[in-house]
Amino acid sequence: MLLEFVQWLQMTGYATALRQSWYVYPVIMTLHLVGIGMFGGLVLVTNLRLLGVTMQKRPVADVIRGLRHLKHAGLTLIVVCGFLMFSSKAEEYYYNWFFWMKMSLLGLIALHALAFRSSVYKNPAVLDRSSTMPGIAKLAAVLSILLWTGVAICGRGIGYIDPPLEKLHAMLFLVK
Amino acid sequence: MLIMENPLDSSPMIFPVLECFHIIGMALLVGTIALVDFRMLGWAMPGQTPAELADDVKAWSHVGLAVMLLSGPMLFLSDWDMYWYNSAWRAKMGLFLLALAFNFTVHRRAIASGSPGKGVALTSLLLWASVIAGGIFIAFV
Repeated sequence: MLLEFVQWLQMTGYATALRQSWYVYPVIMTLHLVGIGMFGGLVLVTNLRLLGVTMQKRPVADVIRGLRHLKHAGLTLIVVCGFLMFSSKAEEYYYNWFFWMKMSLLGLIALHALAFRSSVYKNPAVLDRSSTMPGIAKLAAVLSILLWTGVAICGRGIGYIDPPLEKLHAMLFLVK
Repeated sequence: MLIMENPLDSSPMIFPVLECFHIIGMALLVGTIALVDFRMLGWAMPGQTPAELADDVKAWSHVGLAVMLLSGPMLFLSDWDMYWYNSAWRAKMGLFLLALAFNFTVHRRAIASGSPGKGVALTSLLLWASVIAGGIFIAFV
């Protein structure tokens, strides 16, 4: 079922066009990395603020609220570009365990957001009133840094897995 | 003639591990610079001035730059003649030097002056994005 979906997805018009152009794919990959550089950096800054190692003079509320929209825009850019790259070789990704590990880590990041939303990210004013940073905020920051670092590592790892040519439905490697 | 093996090729893990450091360092370097640029454009943290933010994150920009200046040359030395003749790598190095020079001159002065400097911020963002593009295209040219 999932295998049929990825086979269908990569044969759609846009995925085929993406695969066959030499420059569109690296341009999308560049935008994916620009998103990681500019907006992943903002995630790091937010977490480093919670750990008290940057922007100590700025209220946590200013950092979290002041960067929220940019981080959402950046995440959208990264996800759209990521999905486009996935579409172009969806069947190869299906057999790539780094890809599945990356998706699992993104699932954990969604759980992280749910778990810490009310106590940390939607509650910065209380963090600012506290004389020392509460442990739960520091825990959220450390976990966030570890999870996102893991996502970046798995993303790089995807490119190192050789596709199982004998299993591939379409001989995409011929037109790569 | 004795042919030495390149120590950076002694394990297949070295290159991908260096690449991961390069990506995380990039997020620190470019992310902290972009934060100030976004503020200059009026898109982030209106309660602080660009100069305050630049001062806040400077140390982390330097950490990111140090990671890049260590991991980058090691990636290069793992296969230096391939990179040397790669047009995207050459463009990337030129753009990187330009982005650094811009950052420590025009960019720094615009932040210190306190004027909005939207053009400077956009130029900075575009320069760093073009360095990233140069890096990606190394594998495609």
